Amino acid sequence: MHELGISRNIVAIAGEAAAGRPIRRITLEIGRLSGVMPHALEFCFDLAAEGTPAARAVLEIRETAGDELNIKSIDLED
Amino acid sequence: MCGICGCDDHQDDMHEHVHEDGTRHRHAHPHEHHHHTHVELERRVLAKNDALAQENARWLAERGILAVNLMGSPGCGKTSLLERTIRSQGARALCVIEGDQATANDAERIRAAGAPVVQVNTGTGCHLDATMVARGLEELAPRGGSVVVVENVGNLVCPALFRLGEQRRVVVLSVAEGDDKPVKYPHMFRAAHLVLINKTDLLPHLDFRLDHAVAGVRSVNPEAQVLQVSARTGEGMDGWYGWLAAELEGLRHRGERSFERPGHPLGLES
Repeated sequence: MHELGISRNIVAIAGEAAAGRPIRRITLEIGRLSGVMPHALEFCFDLAAEGTPAARAVLEIRETAGDELNIKSIDLED
Repeated sequence: MCGICGCDDHQDDMHEHVHEDGTRHRHAHPHEHHHHTHVELERRVLAKNDALAQENARWLAERGILAVNLMGSPGCGKTSLLERTIRSQGARALCVIEGDQATANDAERIRAAGAPVVQVNTGTGCHLDATMVARGLEELAPRGGSVVVVENVGNLVCPALFRLGEQRRVVVLSVAEGDDKPVKYPHMFRAAHLVLINKTDLLPHLDFRLDHAVAGVRSVNPEAQVLQVSARTGEGMDGWYGWLAAELEGLRHRGERSFERPGHPLGLES
């Protein structure tokens, strides 16, 4: 359930870095010990992204072994 | 299909470009032409909350205040534990920030027991975050050298992820929940400094295996202390009071170099 809050954080961080440009892709690193479920995050992300520059963004999730919960990179439309 | 733009149309207008990382892409863009910028961020998703939590921690440290993040399932006895603590140790023993999705019921219970309290409602939120606690601290205005207990939203999952600026995390596990909970909810128990096994007065009526529960805590968190209490009968509560007193004393020793500085917990002008 906290994945919605996490999604909002992701949208906020990516949106800030995008400076208003539409975001195509957000690459995340999510550890198995992070307490975040990739499936739940994907489910919540669309809700959190609605009406933001990330509205059409695709989430690319790389699962890792530790407690990582990082935004690796974003891809923007020029 | 292109890994960057997802384009899989290769009919006409073929072109090739090289990205910063050396990846070559051959594209067909018969439609409107898209170029994409790749931005490396390497940012922790919870960086903002963690930074605010650090501000709270600094605010608390400057005043020599011990903040305890009290977590556990709904109904595990967090509020009852605080009520008895206040009634037994006096109204100045602690003050409380109450986190619940809705109602001020718990704040009313704490107030009736005699301690200062602020209620924070999270609405749909399943946990407190550092911003809510900063606002709660501002409203509560705890005196220097006191104990603030932040009673988190009843939930064995989400609150484990969000730092609030607390020095200590206490997880309450009631025997009615079952002895397997530490291994079923390892994130929560891994984060704990102290685990209170509550409602021990119910043990004769249940199949709860104390040794099994303690072993479960040890398996996910060998450092956590475990105490058995009954907030209802008062049995074992002296151990909890002793733990709180020792933690406050430890903070005083560590905090001798700290100084008083007024201000907002977020570092903003109030």
